[in-house]
Amino acid sequence: MLSTLIWLPLLGAAVMGFLPGTIAASRFRLGAIAIASVVLVWTAVLFTQFDISTATMQMQEYLPWIPTLGINYSLSVDGLSLPLVMLSNFLTLGVIYSAESLVAKGQVMQRPRLFYSLVFLINAGMAGALMAQNLLMFFLFYELELIPFYLLIVIWGGAKREYAGMKFLIYTATSGILILAAFLATVWLSGSGSFDYNAISTADLPQRTQLILLTLLLIGFGIKIPLIPLHTWLPDAYVEASTPTAILLGGVLAKLGTYGLVRFGIGLFPETWSLVTPALSWLAASCVIYGALAAIAQKDIKRMVAYSSIGHMGYVMLGMAALTPLSMVGAVSQMVSHGLILALLFYIVGVIEVKVGTRDLDVLNGLLNPIRGLPLTSSLLILAGMASAAIPGMVGFIAEFLVFQGSFTTFPLPTLLCVAGTGLTAVYFVILLNRTCFGRLDNKIAYYPRVTWKEQTPALILTGLIVFLGVQPTWLVRWSETTTAALAAAAPINRPIAINQPAISPNVSFTGIAQTLNSADRL
Amino acid sequence: MAPLLVQNIWLVPVYSLIGAALSVIWFPSITRRTGPRPAGYINAGMTSLSFVHALLALPSTWNQPPYEVSFEWLNVAGLDLTIPVQVSSLTVGAIALVSGLNLLAQIFAIGYMEMDWGWARFYSLLALFEAGMTALVLCNSLFFSYMIMEVLTLATYLLLGFWFNQSLVVTGARDAFLTKRIGDLFLLMAVLAIYPLTGTWNFSEMALWATTAEVDPTVITLIGLGLIAGPMGKCAQFPLHLWLDEAMEGPIPSTILRNSVVVATGAWVLVKLEPILALSPFVLSTTIFIGAVTAVGGSLIALAQIDVKRTLSYLVSAYMGIVFIAVGAGQTEAALMLVFTHAISMALLIMSIGGIIWNSITQNVTQLGGLWSRRPMSGLAFIVGTVGLIAFPPFGSFWALLELVDGLRETHPWLVGVLLLVNVLTTFGLTRVFCLLFGGEAKLMAQRSPEVHWPMMLPMMVLLGFTLHVPLVLQACDLLPNWIAIDMSMALLLVGSSILGVSLSALIYLGNVVPKPVRFPVQSLQNLVAYDFYTPTLYRSSFVFGVDLISQITAWIDQYLVDGVVNLFGSVTIFSGQNLKYSTSGQSQSYALTILLGVVLLGFFLCFPLLTNMALVFAANFMHQTVG
Repeated sequence: MLSTLIWLPLLGAAVMGFLPGTIAASRFRLGAIAIASVVLVWTAVLFTQFDISTATMQMQEYLPWIPTLGINYSLSVDGLSLPLVMLSNFLTLGVIYSAESLVAKGQVMQRPRLFYSLVFLINAGMAGALMAQNLLMFFLFYELELIPFYLLIVIWGGAKREYAGMKFLIYTATSGILILAAFLATVWLSGSGSFDYNAISTADLPQRTQLILLTLLLIGFGIKIPLIPLHTWLPDAYVEASTPTAILLGGVLAKLGTYGLVRFGIGLFPETWSLVTPALSWLAASCVIYGALAAIAQKDIKRMVAYSSIGHMGYVMLGMAALTPLSMVGAVSQMVSHGLILALLFYIVGVIEVKVGTRDLDVLNGLLNPIRGLPLTSSLLILAGMASAAIPGMVGFIAEFLVFQGSFTTFPLPTLLCVAGTGLTAVYFVILLNRTCFGRLDNKIAYYPRVTWKEQTPALILTGLIVFLGVQPTWLVRWSETTTAALAAAAPINRPIAINQPAISPNVSFTGIAQTLNSADRL
Repeated sequence: MAPLLVQNIWLVPVYSLIGAALSVIWFPSITRRTGPRPAGYINAGMTSLSFVHALLALPSTWNQPPYEVSFEWLNVAGLDLTIPVQVSSLTVGAIALVSGLNLLAQIFAIGYMEMDWGWARFYSLLALFEAGMTALVLCNSLFFSYMIMEVLTLATYLLLGFWFNQSLVVTGARDAFLTKRIGDLFLLMAVLAIYPLTGTWNFSEMALWATTAEVDPTVITLIGLGLIAGPMGKCAQFPLHLWLDEAMEGPIPSTILRNSVVVATGAWVLVKLEPILALSPFVLSTTIFIGAVTAVGGSLIALAQIDVKRTLSYLVSAYMGIVFIAVGAGQTEAALMLVFTHAISMALLIMSIGGIIWNSITQNVTQLGGLWSRRPMSGLAFIVGTVGLIAFPPFGSFWALLELVDGLRETHPWLVGVLLLVNVLTTFGLTRVFCLLFGGEAKLMAQRSPEVHWPMMLPMMVLLGFTLHVPLVLQACDLLPNWIAIDMSMALLLVGSSILGVSLSALIYLGNVVPKPVRFPVQSLQNLVAYDFYTPTLYRSSFVFGVDLISQITAWIDQYLVDGVVNLFGSVTIFSGQNLKYSTSGQSQSYALTILLGVVLLGFFLCFPLLTNMALVFAANFMHQTVG
């Protein structure tokens, strides 16, 4: 079942790549949409088969591959990977659907065959990395992402694409090397003969070794997330990449970093993880604040959105650092919600760039004008910005709130800093919205082409999803609840609780107190 | 029928949301053929439905225990987020007030926004406000109240930015959003922090918890301060009051709703939170202090404003300040009563000046005058609104203020003085506006200023009648004190302060004693008050400047320091690569030499542990020999 998610996109990539170039580009698009839709529908089928009541790995597929080296073809999903697989396949379909219309005025899309096959390669790589239960196999897929992304940036990118692409390549390659080193060392030192995830037990390793290995993983995945100060590839890569690439980079690839940390950082080193979490929580808070502050100063709306991504991944980090059942659910939800919201933001910024021809805050103005502006697009931009600033009613709020509530008892100060960070997020989004959507439209230059319904569709669907999951968050959290609770329970953490005040009351029937005591016990 | 209506009262927010959603159809970018007006009529219809629903449900909640129902929203990882809905005569009455005022505002807007193309957007936002406020009064949970308040913050941003072509509107919308957001985020911090203590966000359960709670005073003080920050932003209290002044750039119909009931959302939540706030004396005195400063400051600033809308907006801050005082002193009943009477009177006042602004082109009070002969009904509405707002028996606010003063006399005698001062200032300010608008000679902009047409006059007259009947409503609700129990001295003090304010102001602005235009005795004082104690400048030079500077520095560090190090690393690599290529001369000897050197180094590195041991052995031998 799961193999389909890897092999179908790979097959698609191959078919796309080897079809004769004489076929019209629109045919390619339709074919690619068809394949991506099948993949998405298949993922939906997996959701129906998925058992949310158990934390074990489900739908396992196992095939010995090179047993002497301990590499096996082993796939399965749990509540952590399944939502991310869905996110990845969903955004891939969106990117394939919209790539054609997101090129500058009067141009046609360059080399569509190569583009679609690269996107499919990325899709396969993401699915493989998320489902792989073998360390080396994960690494293989993790590295597989690199080349297509590099090509996507340097072929379809903006003016400084080569610089950005090279920077991205070097950074991610370093990340790969560190992770490979950590994986190899973990397996060899712990003496398990196989790279299978389940076969590895680090409990016997001395703590210092564990700490070194975990640090390697932290830096490796930290580049991908990215954590400051390892983030400098991000603004360049996101901004120089074309809109579809940026959506995939921010919406999909960044999640691999946080996913990797949860799966391998927390999963393999549960005890050592608790040693580094106080530092991590502060790092998360500084990511949030730093990303927001840097975004406030930007003049390019795409760059602003890129920096916002740094801040929002900080919330995921905070939830992972606190490692309570609630904060972990929040962290997974925040990964999905950030993927959706960032994709919507990048998409709308891309539409504005195509229609208006600029991304400069000082030039853009009055796009909300109903006759000559882009009214629907700017309305959706307002919604997207507000969703990103965690206004309730949209998915960003509930994800961040779960993180905050889950982390507060463990790390009160970093959590409060992160809450302040959402205020700063509001500041730059208000700047962005005020300059682009509000204001007086310049009549001399305001001859923008209309945004067609075909171009609106992806944004409308994303907005619908963001609002729906914001109003009905159960649909978002139920998939990962059991898995994350098991993860949190697996880490036998005896942390000092900063705010520890179980209410003292003779009124025992008062359910809230019982809950407090329960949660205090759990911690 | 009636019990059914009570049980289904939670449908009221849904009606408004349906109206808001349907309005989208008439956005100019979607439907052009019909024009945007159908959106307005649909929303007015939906609001009437809410109003009628609430009115019909009201009698059957009378003297009944609150009807409670809950809806499960999210239950995850031990966090149970169920929406508790509490239906009592108070909440149903509040719904009737909100939907009634919104209906009047919507009818007013049919006239006021006659030529506007943005009906659909405007009415859908009004409906969103109505939905938010009715949901707020229904839900009995701090968490959901917080959620609704945040959504209303966004709605304020959009409604204020309605005429987004104008630069003042854009900055006003920005400031309103950010100021309210600051308050909301402090509230969120408190919401997060209080849950581990109480284990619930249900207001009733929290109040129960508070009766027996033993908590660290520092923690509960911090939480309490966070809890009042949210209402401070909503109620436009010092120092978060700036947005309400800038909000006056928005259309009048939205101002009717905002200045009467939207600001009161904060007061509502504050009243609900009173048991928690009472756990910390410091928080209570802070609440009183903030309220007192705002009440005096707001009513003072209003005296120096020449924009007629702004003369009223600061009074809203001032009255909400009085509500803060009331809650801080534990007088929640007086607080709610004042919220009610204030909402009615303030809406009437704004309707009265709204019509004047509409066809007099200007909203500058110094350019108007002599309107009494031209628009007597507007003048009458202004007078009734004024007497309804100030302490003037037998009209509404008098009773609320009397109850408040009665309660304060024993515990906080100095606050009675503050309230009397605020009443004098408010009365003075309102009389000043009345004299400038309606009294004296007609100035340039008031020459041709007839009464407006029915869509604006009808709601004004309806509300005028209702304002006059507010005492009867209060009596029907058993809120009026027994005639014998009235403390005559306090009542006389209140009435006296009102009369003092009116007569002083009339003397100055109508009589010939003081030269016109009237100015403060000292110019710097005049400027200080006229420019809102220079708060905007203060903000600009402190917070705005600070955040801007820090973000610029961060961006600089990011671009030149963090990224610079990376680029430097890259350059060094390229540079060394470029240089190294000259060392490859092609002579095999040099390669051999390099390989040899490398092997030696490698060998040395591999043998290093051995060598160190050897050295130890040698040293030991040597020592042995020398000693031996």
